[in-house]
Amino acid sequence: MLIRTKKDWELPESAVTSESAYRTHNRRDFLKAIGLGAAGAALASRDLLAATGGFPAKANPDFPASALKPTAEEFVTSYNNFYEFGTGKEQPKDLANRGWKTDPWTVELTGLVNKPVKLDVNDLIKQAGGIEERVYRHRCVEAWSMVVPWDGFALAKLVALADPKPEAKYLKFTSFLDPKSSPGQSSGNLDYPYVEGLRLDEATNELAFIATGIYSKPMPNQNGAPLRLVTPWKYGFKGIKSIVKIEFVAAMPTNTWKAMQSSEYGFYANVNPKVDHPRWSQASERVIGEGSTFIPKRQPTLMFNGYEKQVAALYKGMDLARNY
Amino acid sequence: MAVLEKLLRSKVVIWILLVLPGLWPLWPIFIRPNPSVGADPLKYILHHFGFTACVLLATVLTFTPLRVLWPKWGIAQALNRHRRLVGVVSFAYAMLHLTAHLVYETGLDWSQLGHVFEVATTKPFQLVGLIAFTILLVLTVTSPNAAIKALGGKRWKLLHRLVYVAAALSAYHQAAARKVFPMQVVWIFGPLLLLEIARIIRERKPKPVARKAAGNAEA
Repeated sequence: MLIRTKKDWELPESAVTSESAYRTHNRRDFLKAIGLGAAGAALASRDLLAATGGFPAKANPDFPASALKPTAEEFVTSYNNFYEFGTGKEQPKDLANRGWKTDPWTVELTGLVNKPVKLDVNDLIKQAGGIEERVYRHRCVEAWSMVVPWDGFALAKLVALADPKPEAKYLKFTSFLDPKSSPGQSSGNLDYPYVEGLRLDEATNELAFIATGIYSKPMPNQNGAPLRLVTPWKYGFKGIKSIVKIEFVAAMPTNTWKAMQSSEYGFYANVNPKVDHPRWSQASERVIGEGSTFIPKRQPTLMFNGYEKQVAALYKGMDLARNY
Repeated sequence: MAVLEKLLRSKVVIWILLVLPGLWPLWPIFIRPNPSVGADPLKYILHHFGFTACVLLATVLTFTPLRVLWPKWGIAQALNRHRRLVGVVSFAYAMLHLTAHLVYETGLDWSQLGHVFEVATTKPFQLVGLIAFTILLVLTVTSPNAAIKALGGKRWKLLHRLVYVAAALSAYHQAAARKVFPMQVVWIFGPLLLLEIARIIRERKPKPVARKAAGNAEA
């Protein structure tokens, strides 16, 4: 599927996005008007966060909303895999919003780099040149998919800031570790902190993205506040949430799911309809929020989730059935 | 206790207890819509029916060991009046579960049905579920009195021992349905396992001579 369509330069933002933003504003005004003190204050500080984070972002016309239909915002923020806050899809929305602090947030760029740095996420956004909006397909390894309007910046910009040394071949991403705020970490449903990795050339691919928001708003906690990785040609579990450290390393890092069950989850995790999960098929996917209540919409899964043109060259000559 | 026993003896009460779980998905889908469920309602229904089938299967299998271990306990006696009914309804939920799976995977495009079954027979997780379902199907078909007569009591009993195989396969199937081991499998099948172990110990203890006497005393 083509995603570069020159004509889309001219098109306005998708109706879904602007409509939901409009609704949210109304609700804020309403809450303030009826004098919900605490709620009003919390929302106001979120407005502040939005401003410092550079919201609303300009849409990147290379990845337009008009080419794909975004999934309803309430599904994107209510149907989450964030095992730090429970293995149920409905749990993160509740459990990640019970006092877990994601503001302020410090990110560390370290390892084999010329410019190691530890900085506040808002400074990182500024140094990366601000944020933009991109609409990407999102395919979970569990055979469901969404379309999400992400806000953030190209991962390549972050790599440039860190200025990797020649011996750096991989990026190792580490998420937060705070068992007191994270019921999943205190129950130990996975090995924490969550770790993910990318090859350096994957990280500098134009699609690789650090998201700091969705739907023109700062990232909700349950979606991985305040910043997360988005690699739309890979299964969702590669998209590590709530990153605290990005380390440039020489050897391939072991990602959490691979460590958990290497026969089912690999390092690459590229979306591939021809390579099944050992327990289910990856040939097609359920489109979240589409179809009727009892008859869901399914569609064939595309190679590299439809981003073959941009990323296929990264894996030239590799046996993708073995390097899953 | 006596009230509970009386209630559990009633077929109507048991029917209500069996049907209510099937209606549960109406709540988060229609009555108080929950977007976490609404994002993929049929998946929720599919999991819910599978879960209910497992719970009922594990529950009905505890009835016999409960009676063996506590033969004078009124509740155990009351429950044992409904073994066949609960077993058959467990199969009914397994069938709803399979039907939901087929609709979910095909999106009602029946040309995909062959592919869905092909996947089911090549993935151990799904094949195990299908075998458990087939066992429950056979047991349901042979559950009427006429079938017992036709098969003969001994053969019928032997055949219906397959229910333990179905339970073990269901426990595996349920555990394998998630990416990390779901503790609920322990809560559902753990008590059954403990009761069966206790029952086997109880039935083995008074071996050749004492066995009959003990049996009479308990009766």
